[in-house]
Amino acid sequence: MRGPRQATGPSQTSFSVSAARAIAPATVAKGACGGLPEELDNATKKLRALIVEDEPADVELALCALRRAGLDAVCDVAQTAERFTDLVRKNAYDVILADYKLPNWNGMESVEILRQEGLDVPVILVSGALGELTVVECIKQGAADYILKDHLARLPESVRRAMRETKLRQDHRQSQDDLARSNRDLEQFAYVASHDLQEPLRMVATYTQLLAERYRGKLDSDADRYIHYTVDGALRMQKLVQDLLAFSRVGRHGLALQNSDCNLALQVALKNLEAAIQESGAIVEHAQLPVLVADSSQLAQVFQNLIGNAIKFRGSEPPLIRVSAELSGKEWVFSVADNGIGIAAEHVESVFVVFRRLHTHAEYPGNGIGLSICKKILEQHGGRIWVESKIGHGSTFRFAVPIKPTTKQ
Amino acid sequence: MKNTPEILMVDDNPADIDLTSEVLAQSEGHFHVNAVNDGVEAISFLRRQGKYARAPAPDLVVLDLNLPRVDGCEVLSNIKSDPALARIPVVIFTTSQADSDVSRSYKLGANCYLRKPGNLQEFVAVVQSMAEFWLGFATLPQKEKK
Repeated sequence: MRGPRQATGPSQTSFSVSAARAIAPATVAKGACGGLPEELDNATKKLRALIVEDEPADVELALCALRRAGLDAVCDVAQTAERFTDLVRKNAYDVILADYKLPNWNGMESVEILRQEGLDVPVILVSGALGELTVVECIKQGAADYILKDHLARLPESVRRAMRETKLRQDHRQSQDDLARSNRDLEQFAYVASHDLQEPLRMVATYTQLLAERYRGKLDSDADRYIHYTVDGALRMQKLVQDLLAFSRVGRHGLALQNSDCNLALQVALKNLEAAIQESGAIVEHAQLPVLVADSSQLAQVFQNLIGNAIKFRGSEPPLIRVSAELSGKEWVFSVADNGIGIAAEHVESVFVVFRRLHTHAEYPGNGIGLSICKKILEQHGGRIWVESKIGHGSTFRFAVPIKPTTKQ
Repeated sequence: MKNTPEILMVDDNPADIDLTSEVLAQSEGHFHVNAVNDGVEAISFLRRQGKYARAPAPDLVVLDLNLPRVDGCEVLSNIKSDPALARIPVVIFTTSQADSDVSRSYKLGANCYLRKPGNLQEFVAVVQSMAEFWLGFATLPQKEKK
């Protein structure tokens, strides 16, 4: 949706009704009662109105009502849908005042025209008495308000409120758009940066490895050490870049939402973790898990990262991991509980931040990407993830996935 | 008596050409690597145009996708749509992991798609097995006599 066009204001000379030309110039000096709403164009401080009306006297009455309340209005008048369309395309209006019954069309059609034109201008119905049902229907369709021609005193406040609401709606939409764009840019940046970084990095990594292979022991011990640091650094950076790429890829191509059997997703995760499970002697117990609408490969990824962490951050005992799910209101809450080293209270939130690590590489390898990927996956599903833990007493990661209506298979 | 297999490597990265040539030089097959740096050169080489009039007919083309002037896919489709060149196996050797690049390459007739590995050991292994497979194990059609 576009906002009202900023470039041009309504032309005061474009009255389409000949009779309308006869009425006094549509602007008067600022009235004494009430100021102008802030939403008005700052340059002119005039209210730009488009009046849909076939009765010149009614146009004049509406303008008088506005002026009396201190709204310095300029207006165009449209009697037909064609003229209306033409005017809203050319000019930016603050408000539309539309009569309901016109000889050739219905003032409510202006709401539909604005929608088609992608314009967000409030439409206030200014009409004779309409049935309650008609009024409700008009409001439902998008009219901002309904003013009886016999009660025009209400008009200025209605105009002010409609403009305030429109301004708020537009600001809100604007910030939503800005946020979405900023997120897209960031995503794109992370993707391109990590993708393009890979190429030169590959050169550094392979050639320092070649150096190490060819010249180890042939220079001196300092040189050997320096080469070792360089190779190590290049390989670590490679892994970081790959992880960043993996992170930015999550959901890049949208979610493949389908009925997903979480038991199968868990099996996929366990299969991928087979070596780690055997090596650590981990026992993974799981209750019956639900079938829900989700991206099943992403679900498997969440299980894999959480169970993988439970194995990696194990205590002195072999890992014992319990996976379960329970229905809670309108969402499924999953738990992955372990008997590992646990997380200090001050870190239970920061562990989900990308590249956040609580241990040195020597203690536990890894880049701190796994939980941030889980968080991103769950947020894309409209869910969330958190952890309950105590140092030395294991951790329980929980994640909630909202229930969506099941899709047809 | 078999001639030394001729490889045409098309890559704009001299470091990759260097490394690949070195790996192949040290392998048992005694391959000869001819290297060009962009798609236009590659096509001239294959068609023996200009300074490549006396170029050998390659037994294998190792082709990067991201090339200056004419990109790898275009070189590939040139080779595969030219009856005189279509028999030459083309191995795509690139950093791109994009599914779209993989499927596009095979659609255009690539014989194999290999990703350049990020560490030395894997790189050596990939290059050696590629040369061994295509120029050792695989049975390929005879070169046409000119």
